[in-house]
Amino acid sequence: MCARCLELTRRSLLVGGGVAAAALHTGIADARIRPQDMVPLVGPGFKPTDVDEQGLWHDMARVEEEIADSNLLIQDPKITSYLRDLIGTVGGPAAKDFRIYLMRIPDFNAVMFPTGFAVVFSGLLLRMRNEAQLAGVIAHESGHFLRRHEIRSWRDQRRKTDLFSIGAMLAGLGGAGAGVYLGDYVQLAQLGTILSLFKYSREMEAEADAMGVKLIAQAGYDPMEMSTVWQQLIGEEQASAVYRGKHRHHGSLFDTHPSDDARMADLKADALELKVPGKLYNDYRDRYLATIGPIRPMLLDDQVKLNDPGASEYLIETLAQDGWNGLLRFYEGEVWRLRNRLAFNDEARAAQSYAAAVVYPDAPADAWRWHGIFLLKQGRTAEAKAALSKYLTMKPDAPDAPWVRQTIG
Amino acid sequence: MRKLGLTAALAATVALGACVQTKQYADVQFTPPEGDYKLLVLRPDVTVGSLTTGGMVEPRAEWTDEARANIIAALRAQQAGRGGNVTIIEHRNELPGVPEQELADVERLNFVVDESIVDAKYLGNYLPTKRGRGLDWTLGADAVKLGQQSGYDYALFLHAEDQVASGGRVALGLLGFAGCFIGFCAPNIGGAEQLDYASLVDLKTGKVVWFNVVDAASQVPGIKFGDLRTPQGAAQMVERLLGRMKPGQDVGRRQAIR
Repeated sequence: MCARCLELTRRSLLVGGGVAAAALHTGIADARIRPQDMVPLVGPGFKPTDVDEQGLWHDMARVEEEIADSNLLIQDPKITSYLRDLIGTVGGPAAKDFRIYLMRIPDFNAVMFPTGFAVVFSGLLLRMRNEAQLAGVIAHESGHFLRRHEIRSWRDQRRKTDLFSIGAMLAGLGGAGAGVYLGDYVQLAQLGTILSLFKYSREMEAEADAMGVKLIAQAGYDPMEMSTVWQQLIGEEQASAVYRGKHRHHGSLFDTHPSDDARMADLKADALELKVPGKLYNDYRDRYLATIGPIRPMLLDDQVKLNDPGASEYLIETLAQDGWNGLLRFYEGEVWRLRNRLAFNDEARAAQSYAAAVVYPDAPADAWRWHGIFLLKQGRTAEAKAALSKYLTMKPDAPDAPWVRQTIG
Repeated sequence: MRKLGLTAALAATVALGACVQTKQYADVQFTPPEGDYKLLVLRPDVTVGSLTTGGMVEPRAEWTDEARANIIAALRAQQAGRGGNVTIIEHRNELPGVPEQELADVERLNFVVDESIVDAKYLGNYLPTKRGRGLDWTLGADAVKLGQQSGYDYALFLHAEDQVASGGRVALGLLGFAGCFIGFCAPNIGGAEQLDYASLVDLKTGKVVWFNVVDAASQVPGIKFGDLRTPQGAAQMVERLLGRMKPGQDVGRRQAIR
């Protein structure tokens, strides 16, 4: 009789799986982690003493060597020392131990490695509107190190795969002894194990968010800036998806990170707890923009060439909320020109953007070039020649200088 | 047999329980270096870990250091036997006359070329245009430049990884073996595995002249096929990987005619 009780139908498996999944996804698992509960688990000059963590650190030494020698590294000394100072401000007790590398990857991301070196993607510097926002992301990465997430995740994985393997073996043995087949249960347990690993990873991310928001509040930045970062990212992904006729990803059981919406909501609640009433916060936007100024054209150029006009347009408009300038107008024109959709009248829009760009004193030489070319196309030869000679004055050794000289006669 | 890829060969050995596989390829004109040659070994990549009960590999710092030291000692002894003059560098700034970035570039290039060799020669994605042409890959001008700057004849790239079955893994295997008596037989859950590969680059031509892979895997935890943590195990690995370097097919044919 009992053999029959153990029999699993496809329906009961689905129901069971659904219940297990729902239990993992909702309830206590997604409760917000409060910033005041986040205390650093490492002190200054931390060195591992456990054998598994020592192994991890040993492996990472070679990884860091690889990153330090990478040809994607941006080595502008002003920017790298600025990033070092910033992680020194929001790095908690390990502030002096961190290393930080800037890589030319046009994507919103930053990564903390278990031995305390962080990699910041150039796409992050493009998206941050001020120092407080950048400090928030870097503080989140510091949080991973301070809360020892890498080794805790590893131990969680090791424990769960151990338990699963033993369980699967015992199920096989027990099943064989009792003469029943338990393979379906083993598969369900495997799905459960995998889901629980992803859930653990999302918990670590939530911890890093809570730790990060606490760190920037302690350093005197407005804690609300972190949720603003997520608000911007959600807007960007939405705009990108809409243009491509797709839906924005809203999070699933197989995600390593909590959904952007959940993070934004939790960070907002955290900030409300930490914000000092009546305090005036400085976001240090001027200092930030002055530092990244020299590479900002490159950052915009890399973004525009990703061929993601929805996201690029959103990003430029977001940055322009702090004021339009020649550089942003020029790259707005580039988005339309490269998209080149007849239905959206992109050519005319691009021409307008270039015309608007050259009004600003900081318009790049290429803005004058494209402005001139579009004037030529419109038959406004005299104005075109003026614009193109301005381009030549600004960039006398441009690769197309001979052609421009010939054109303007 | 030549067409049997590494994975296919490995799969075929599962039933046997365990096996040591090695398969080398060489440029058709390759003659194994002998006599007075200068060999540069670039940052040998060695990791030794513990295979957990659940089948994950946990890296171990102490074991890795032991294995690396043993491999380097065995490599020096083996090359000295052939008359070679060997330099082993651990960090990119240890090679006089060669900027760190350039060395990093050569290493990165070599890595992707090695990946391509493994894909085409071992994993069954054969390239029809390279049929019958031995090992036909090159690192090009960058490697020639490295040779000119450093004065070495050959560069050797070496990778070795070893996983040692933990007590828990062995116990799980024993449990699986015990199950054979009641009808649930699973002793072959996978145990220790050593995977090594090496590529030899001729720094005069830039060509990858020789490539070899050694896979020593045991499906049954508890059975070992060499342990890099011991000097004997490391010497055995160097012998399997580098000790039986064969000449390229054209050279081999000429030698046979003579």
